[in-house]
Amino acid sequence: MSLVGEERAKNKRGIWGWLNPYHYNLERWAYTFQRVTGVAVLLYLLGHLGDTSFFVGGPTGTGPSSSSWSFIGSIFENSFGHLILVLVVLVLTFHGVNGIRLILSEFGLIMKKPSGIEYPYRPKSLGSVQKSLVWVAIAAAVVAALWTYLVLFEGMG
Amino acid sequence: MKESRLMLIQYATAVLALALVAAHLIMQGVILPYDTAISFNNILSIYQNWIYAGFLEALLVVVLVHGFNGLRIILHEWRQTAPWSRWVDLGTVAAVAVAVGYGTRTVILAVFGGVSG
Amino acid sequence: MSEFKLAVQRFDPLTDAKPRLAEYTVPMREGMTVLDALLYARDYLDHSIALRFSCRQASCGSCGMKINGRPRLACYTQVEELGGEKVVAQPLDNFAIVKDLVTDLESFFTKHKQLMPYVLRSDAQELDHPTAEYLMKPEELKKVLQFTYCIKCGLCTSACPTVAMDVKFPGPQAMAQAYRYLMDERDEGGEKRLEALDTAHGVWRCHFAGSCSFVCPKGVDPALGIQLLRRHVLSGKAPRKQGEGAKVWSAPAGSTK
Repeated sequence: MSLVGEERAKNKRGIWGWLNPYHYNLERWAYTFQRVTGVAVLLYLLGHLGDTSFFVGGPTGTGPSSSSWSFIGSIFENSFGHLILVLVVLVLTFHGVNGIRLILSEFGLIMKKPSGIEYPYRPKSLGSVQKSLVWVAIAAAVVAALWTYLVLFEGMG
Repeated sequence: MKESRLMLIQYATAVLALALVAAHLIMQGVILPYDTAISFNNILSIYQNWIYAGFLEALLVVVLVHGFNGLRIILHEWRQTAPWSRWVDLGTVAAVAVAVGYGTRTVILAVFGGVSG
Repeated sequence: MSEFKLAVQRFDPLTDAKPRLAEYTVPMREGMTVLDALLYARDYLDHSIALRFSCRQASCGSCGMKINGRPRLACYTQVEELGGEKVVAQPLDNFAIVKDLVTDLESFFTKHKQLMPYVLRSDAQELDHPTAEYLMKPEELKKVLQFTYCIKCGLCTSACPTVAMDVKFPGPQAMAQAYRYLMDERDEGGEKRLEALDTAHGVWRCHFAGSCSFVCPKGVDPALGIQLLRRHVLSGKAPRKQGEGAKVWSAPAGSTK
């Protein structure tokens, strides 16, 4: 039997259901950001592998070369490059601090013990500890990004 | 490898990466003025110190393993056909090998290569 | 509000290429649940609306559906608590649609069964010729009690982001039950259970988004069970049982045959 609406009847949400936290809890938003920031940092990392290799003259270099290094500096050491760095520190710090929350949770260290339940049901795993740690991750990311901004744009440090 | 071993690697590299990346950022952005930190001479002096060079190599391996293993996890959730799963696992190993290889080449050349202008 | 708009996703895979939202105007009354509203619409406005329900009191888990974008039980959601002027009822995500609001939970139950939601025992002699019941001390029951309240409504699994992509992932409901039986004092299936969870599409594909626990109408908190599972899967060792669950206790006089 072939169904006219066979594809739609499968009703799998796919990528959208995977990444869209709308209508859900704060931890779900943190989950989406953890994924996105993880991929973003990996992409930056690969770029960073490339740009740091110019310290030794790039892919075909043979040793430390100050002309090659100042060439790569002339491309990235400007307002645009520094803005990228500020963003990288922002997402990296969120990923790291939120990652601490996840490790603590996944090893059960900040989980309450199961017990009987009483109405109104409040999931013990999504308590105030989780919420506050997500906000700590967000705050840490903003502070780190601000610091980076001051270092790169205001010459602090 | 069992998935629990791979996840143990993921957790371990996560904790190590936290410490190493924090140290890296502090070295490049807090201890010295940024312009000095990224100057050719400063980086050369970093690589000439065995401890710092070893630190950068460790940072390289840890973050690449963590990053590509994380990507592997995402790709396993993306699709579940047998060939896809096999290629994702092989691709992860290959990607880590290539990226670590290229980064290690930078470290080795920076430590042992002849300095040019 | 004396009346409100009820939008129902209509979709018959036999004849329709894609779903559409049909809108009905339903008179409001105090304490009206979304299920009440749907039944009003079906009784008085459009007899062809397909929906599944049974107990009307959040015990059976039949009327799980997506209400205003989030999986909920229709019988357990009051129109008033939704706040807006409009209620949107759609079938649960990530389950195949049979018709309108009715989804096929076959895959859900299959995955539940795959993780062995029953007490595994090695004493075949006792199983074949029981001499007493397997009893459990109240304090031991407490360790798993909340997970036993699962009514298999499918809301958690529908809400799970991993389930939206990974067709091999057991989902929060099945894994919370795996934890429930792993920790059961009477169960001896420890390592076998852990092995079933330690795969590329097992317990590690949970990343603690917590949506399962967020939508659970019974306070089961599947995410808690899954996080507590991990340490055991990581070590590959079943939890040491505190009590004497591996033995058949002699039941108090008069309580059994």
